[in-house]
Amino acid sequence: MSTTISVLSAALAAAGNSEVIWHPADYWDLSIPVYLFLAVVAGGAYLTGASACLIRSLRGKGACCLETEIARWGFLVAIAAAAGAGLAVLSHLAVIYRAILFPIYLTNFDSWITIGTWILVLLSLFAVVCLLLQLFGEHAASDEGASLFPRTIVAWVSPVLLETIDGLVDRVRPPMSVFAGLHLLGSLFALGTIYTGFELAIVDTVPLWNDPVIIPALFLTSGVAAGIGATLALTMLFEREIGPVFAGYALTVSLLSAVSLALLYYGWILLAASDAPAAAASYATLTDGWYYVGAWLVVLGFVAPMIIGLVIGLATFADRLSPTLERVGGPALIGSFGLLLVGGLLFRILLLLAAAQNPLVVIG
Amino acid sequence: MSADDDHWMFYFDPNRCIGCHACSVSCKQRHNRDADADDWRTVSHVSSGEYPDFREVPISMSCMHCHDAPCEQVCPPDAIIKREEDGIVTVDRDRCIGCHYCAWACPFGAPTYDEEGLMSKCNLCLGEGPGGGHGQPERQTPEEGGAVPACVDDCVGGAIKAGPKSEIMQEVSEEAAERFEQGAYEGRVIVEPLKEDGEMADSIRNGDELNIVDMAR
Repeated sequence: MSTTISVLSAALAAAGNSEVIWHPADYWDLSIPVYLFLAVVAGGAYLTGASACLIRSLRGKGACCLETEIARWGFLVAIAAAAGAGLAVLSHLAVIYRAILFPIYLTNFDSWITIGTWILVLLSLFAVVCLLLQLFGEHAASDEGASLFPRTIVAWVSPVLLETIDGLVDRVRPPMSVFAGLHLLGSLFALGTIYTGFELAIVDTVPLWNDPVIIPALFLTSGVAAGIGATLALTMLFEREIGPVFAGYALTVSLLSAVSLALLYYGWILLAASDAPAAAASYATLTDGWYYVGAWLVVLGFVAPMIIGLVIGLATFADRLSPTLERVGGPALIGSFGLLLVGGLLFRILLLLAAAQNPLVVIG
Repeated sequence: MSADDDHWMFYFDPNRCIGCHACSVSCKQRHNRDADADDWRTVSHVSSGEYPDFREVPISMSCMHCHDAPCEQVCPPDAIIKREEDGIVTVDRDRCIGCHYCAWACPFGAPTYDEEGLMSKCNLCLGEGPGGGHGQPERQTPEEGGAVPACVDDCVGGAIKAGPKSEIMQEVSEEAAERFEQGAYEGRVIVEPLKEDGEMADSIRNGDELNIVDMAR
């Protein structure tokens, strides 16, 4: 409450006009930023998996290689994140069954919630199919790696079941061209998770969100970076050697983090310069107390993977990865990806908590 | 852009509002809503300045049945409908999923959510109770046999009016009409300009408006 009052006071002062009526702006709980974050993480992880498959094909490698391991982890993370996003958003709704029956109930295709539901569900389906093709079949049966743990679970449930699924997957395994098409379509849905940004950006009443370029772009770059980071972190927990593939992904995360940071800075400048009372209220909130600490944590979440990814990536490609750097590089990358995940989620939480709706200004 | 001529809209005159909250109470009574339920119609007291130049103005607000209905545009299950026949924005609670997206979209803070988590708001007394307006036939004016909206009916100062735009525009002051046409409040509601105390006193003396007999009634 005290925060609200201080925000209100600051905004009133900024507006230079006390004849305004403020609305509460507390319509969503924390499940929504979790949903908004995990949906794009799912997209980023899917892109990692699909690109790993592509790299494997381009390098003419067999099924048993690091790229396959990355691909499996990527699709696993995509499914887990999409499921988490789905559960988070469902937990917020009043009538869950109507959302589950979305093909019947969600009929307004002008609403980003409807569009987003379709994107997330289709992305999940593509990720499940891709994972099944990577996880089962003759090639997977002869492979090794931590990402094969779902096979162990199925085998534990029933060895016959595992054999049946292996056989089934081998029978339906599509040719390479169809595979490529599958990954391409899936990647489009993965990029489509930018919708999470549009869900906020189209809200005219909240100046903090109402930017149709910066917010969606920032949601995409930060979320995809986090998705790649989560996939790499899981892979690196079991495959510690840093090679050109890891280095390439680390550089990608570094670049996406740098872009996110630039967008964040530009958005911050715009917010600080805005004349809208609600923008002033949001700015006052974000520069006050724990919100300010949180804002710096978000920055740290982008800076750490940007620098660490750049150093390790460039050193690897320049063949200047010293033994010391190689030893600390893995844990450093994993740690920076952890910060990226925390920062990405915190960024969305702050966007929600600092949101203020334009007050109604009573015209004299 | 503003409402079609036959679309209903609200008119509010802050100079006539005495801040008694009769409008919000009568709204609750008409729609049989619990005393502790969120108000479909609210009265805010906004103030400016410091003594001796202090001023407080009561503002009565509800869903304004906006011509562009931002809530309708974002509602994923099409539960919110801007009716073509009379412009009233209704809610089909059998489709609402309770996502609260409409609350963010609304510039007036009109959507409220009950214990079921479903949205309800003013339906211009087209029907009674939450979701009561959905599926009702075209709104009739009191002259045609339709009910006077509760807030309008019980406003002691005659500060709130509601009706088809063409009819409301005939009753408003020239200044209010001009300002509305220029896009004040984005053409979503017609509001009389605030008058200074001296101006108001002159109006009363001249019998132009704010009839004391009306107020006493």
